[in-house]
Amino acid sequence: MNHIKNASDAASRVNMLTRVIGRLKPVILGTAGTMFLASCATNAPQDTWQPKGPNAQKIDSLQKPVFAVAGIIGLIVAAAVTYSIIKFRDRGQPIPKQSHGNPALEITLTIIPALILAVVGVFTFRTVFDLNKTSDTQMIINVTGQQWWWEYDYPANNEYGITQPIITSGQLVIPVGTKVMLRETSRDVIHSYWIPALNGKRDAVPGRITINRIEADEPGIYAGQCTEFCGLSHANMRMEAVALSKEDFAKWVANQLKPYAAPAEGTLAKEGETVFLNQCTRCHQVNGLTRADGTPVIAAPDENVWSGAVPNLSHLMSRNTFAGAMFDLLTPECRNDVWKSDSASFGAKYLAGVSEPCLNQTDLRGWLRNAPAKKPMYANPAQLAATGGKYRGMPNLGLSESDIEKLVAYLLTLK
Amino acid sequence: MANIENFATPSSAMGALKRPVVTKGWREWVFTVDHKKLGIMYMATAMFFFVVGGLEAVLIRLQLALPNGKILNADLYNQMFTMHATTMVFLFVMPMAAGFANYFIPLQIGARDVAFPRINAFGFWALLFGGLFINLSWFLGGAADGGWFMYAPNSGPIFSPSHGVDFWALGLQIAGIASLTGAINLIVTILNMRAPGMKLMRMPIFTWMILVVQFLLAFAVPVITVALFLLSFQRNFGATFFDVAAGADPLLWQHLFWIFGHPEVYILILPSFGIISEVLPVFSRKPLFGYPFVVFSGAAIGFVGWGVWAHHMFASGLGPVSVAVFSISTMAIAVPTGVKIVNWTLTLWGGKLWFTTAMKFAIGLIVLFTIGGLSGVTHSVAPSDTQQTDTYYIVAHFHYVLFGGAVLGLFSGFYYWWPKMFGKMLNEKLGTWNFWFMVIGMNLTFGPMHILGLQGQPRRMYQWTENRAGEGFFNLAFWNLIASIGSLVLVVGVFLFLVNIFITARSGKVAPLDPWGARSLEWMTSNPPKEHNFDSIPTVHHLDEFFHRKYAEDANGQMQQIATAEEVLKQLEDNADAHIHMPSPSYWPIVIAFGLPVTCLGVIYSIPLAIFGGLIILMGAFGWALEPSTAPDTDFDPPSSSNTSKDVVHVG
Repeated sequence: MNHIKNASDAASRVNMLTRVIGRLKPVILGTAGTMFLASCATNAPQDTWQPKGPNAQKIDSLQKPVFAVAGIIGLIVAAAVTYSIIKFRDRGQPIPKQSHGNPALEITLTIIPALILAVVGVFTFRTVFDLNKTSDTQMIINVTGQQWWWEYDYPANNEYGITQPIITSGQLVIPVGTKVMLRETSRDVIHSYWIPALNGKRDAVPGRITINRIEADEPGIYAGQCTEFCGLSHANMRMEAVALSKEDFAKWVANQLKPYAAPAEGTLAKEGETVFLNQCTRCHQVNGLTRADGTPVIAAPDENVWSGAVPNLSHLMSRNTFAGAMFDLLTPECRNDVWKSDSASFGAKYLAGVSEPCLNQTDLRGWLRNAPAKKPMYANPAQLAATGGKYRGMPNLGLSESDIEKLVAYLLTLK
Repeated sequence: MANIENFATPSSAMGALKRPVVTKGWREWVFTVDHKKLGIMYMATAMFFFVVGGLEAVLIRLQLALPNGKILNADLYNQMFTMHATTMVFLFVMPMAAGFANYFIPLQIGARDVAFPRINAFGFWALLFGGLFINLSWFLGGAADGGWFMYAPNSGPIFSPSHGVDFWALGLQIAGIASLTGAINLIVTILNMRAPGMKLMRMPIFTWMILVVQFLLAFAVPVITVALFLLSFQRNFGATFFDVAAGADPLLWQHLFWIFGHPEVYILILPSFGIISEVLPVFSRKPLFGYPFVVFSGAAIGFVGWGVWAHHMFASGLGPVSVAVFSISTMAIAVPTGVKIVNWTLTLWGGKLWFTTAMKFAIGLIVLFTIGGLSGVTHSVAPSDTQQTDTYYIVAHFHYVLFGGAVLGLFSGFYYWWPKMFGKMLNEKLGTWNFWFMVIGMNLTFGPMHILGLQGQPRRMYQWTENRAGEGFFNLAFWNLIASIGSLVLVVGVFLFLVNIFITARSGKVAPLDPWGARSLEWMTSNPPKEHNFDSIPTVHHLDEFFHRKYAEDANGQMQQIATAEEVLKQLEDNADAHIHMPSPSYWPIVIAFGLPVTCLGVIYSIPLAIFGGLIILMGAFGWALEPSTAPDTDFDPPSSSNTSKDVVHVG
């Protein structure tokens, strides 16, 4: 008797479960629908669910099914709990039989999730090794983090016309459809390089070189941010990856290698060059800049800054952000024009660089007026005992308004 | 026997100081070694730090409610999130669980106190002083600013020049001593002092989970101790353990920290698993489904928890082999965790459910912890984790685990055990409001963080900018605002609990002996329990001994009541043990514990002060060793003792 009762009990419970799942179908479909919408909507620029290159795509193809399965399991648990709450509330029924469990059911319910995870594990395993493949790398760029900006160093590479190393910062420029290997390290604390549309993040660890690979399918600008807490201005340590078509990339390289062009005598920019020579070249390098007597200017950031490096400002106006990509060099309208252009017209717009009408005067002048007021840094001489007087960041130079006027005119010539 | 008798006789000649015999006023608490008083003090301390950590959290959320927040500057913000995590982990959840363990482990296993009562008192004072010491830094040049994970080299003397990290490292060292002594004490207590008949597999599940946690503590705390020593020596004595220029590898800190830090996660969550595994059966009127599965899955988590630490480092460039292995082991630990969720749900299934506030919190834990567990599975997939780690998605994940899991479990415990501890019922109506405000507040706060993280907002940013906020339904601005509003709802929820405590203390309903129809030994005592807990130590025949003394199956297989709680208690009273000997209060635990922050302050500011602190500890140790084992006149015979019962002798 008892056996039959138990069996029918079990059967009715299975039925109940089926019915519950049946009722949940719209919910499950709804969730899937939301997920789908999530991948189409115009989202934040660092959306992790909109891959724009094969590395991020591999991650995406792996993670979306996991999210879906996790969501469904979550709904099943919530449904089972909700059902129990409604069905088994105290309605004056007798105290239930003091059953201590059902090993067969327990083992089944242990094995099912273990199997699901085993399947996920196999795909994870494959993807991990896939993403770490480096043998087909086409281009290497050294990426160095320091408080609170990124430096990029392109080693000489004949295939891409890079006849001399190129050093730049803030915006990483790469050719589309090219497997680029980033060799990352740091000059002070640990940072992490992350362009969500192109790949997951990889820490830049001082004393180590870590490898990450990126590749972009389409020309465009892809936002990123330092994601390992690195101190005071961690929140302001941003960057972008800029993908250009192969022809546009060649133009970009040619521009970076273009020799220094001094401003014409008698212009405001020429006066700005003098201010720059007096105030800025202790730390900032502009390749090819010479003093009045013709000797080349070699900056010595290592004497003034703890990390030993500051952004190289040659061709500054070919980028469109500054100060660790915290500020735009472009006015909001011009920025939108570049950021939101389609992939066909993007390259030309980006290569146009920053022209005077498009220059974001407010932030650039503010920065020159008092950099530490715009971005938290260790730039107060009273705080520098631990670093032996060396700055972490850019100090307030106490420039006069006319100096700032001249400097802005000069910086605009650094295209 | 003769030896024990001698031991129990006070020998005033030997003592450096007599033991205190105070039973009134503040000294009753300061010199106590009673596990119940210490448990309450642990809980009160933890509650205080919960409020502190909560206010820190509210400041963080207010700062992030709008773009370019101006409430905190970058420096203060960094201190705020560092101290929020440190406070919540080390000074709220851990001591609160320790409070529950202190109070209820001896009661649940039918003992009269813990194995080492003075060490127990020392542990509490060390925790309190350690916590105050860390927070002292707020007033002495700024708190630690490196994040609770305190990665090297950012935590070194060059990058964090204030004394904040010094206070942090040394204060955690003090709190760590408390955890270690507590762990050893509870392990010995649980393994040696169970009532006759209580085999390991008859132990209440809360006791089981606490046992697992104490083993985790005993092995994990030494690792962080080593790491903190390296950090302190680097900062205070010029060592170069994490100095890259001197050839050090900063990943050493990460490995040490997470070998501690991952078991720590289970240290935080397993006590709450234990609590709701007590609460769910009581209010379902049936035993925990699959008790052995829950026990063994807890133990399995305790073992596998040691093999998953590097999943915190998937982005650090460990290489594909390590990443793949730790990815798989992390998936493996999801299985025993899933077993628990299944068992809790099946405990409800077929029960006779009574929705008290304690039960509501327990059911809330099942659902909310499941969300946290599942988001955990999504980043056990290492490539996926490289997109999610250090974003708000992780913040969402671990707050579902720690708030939805650990904190809801602790609140379930408050409502369930409050009548046992204080003899009064917390107001159930206010409790319901308390529950809903906390659950809705927590989902409003942490739910949107899933979106924020997947939309690419990193953690630990003192400001976010509209440039990266995007548009449309998933824009960061909207969801940041919702999360901040949610945190205020959460504050109301916690405030209602404090109000409830206040109201209950003033005019609460006196608790009946067995208000919930409970199942385990701690309810076979008066409310609150007598100082010696049990008049006679019960002999245990069943898992859920108390229930089986009250109920039995009749001929038709129906459960019928055979005795009331009063009758069960009367039976114990009638067979009371003669000559019960309880540990005496002591001056020395608080003295030694006080020496620790003095020493640490000296390490930061002046070595002579450190030596002075060391002398306090040394003097305390001598006093401790030489004080008489008991105070005079503390033996007593409970009413109606009979000559046949055995002598019970506890020696401090």
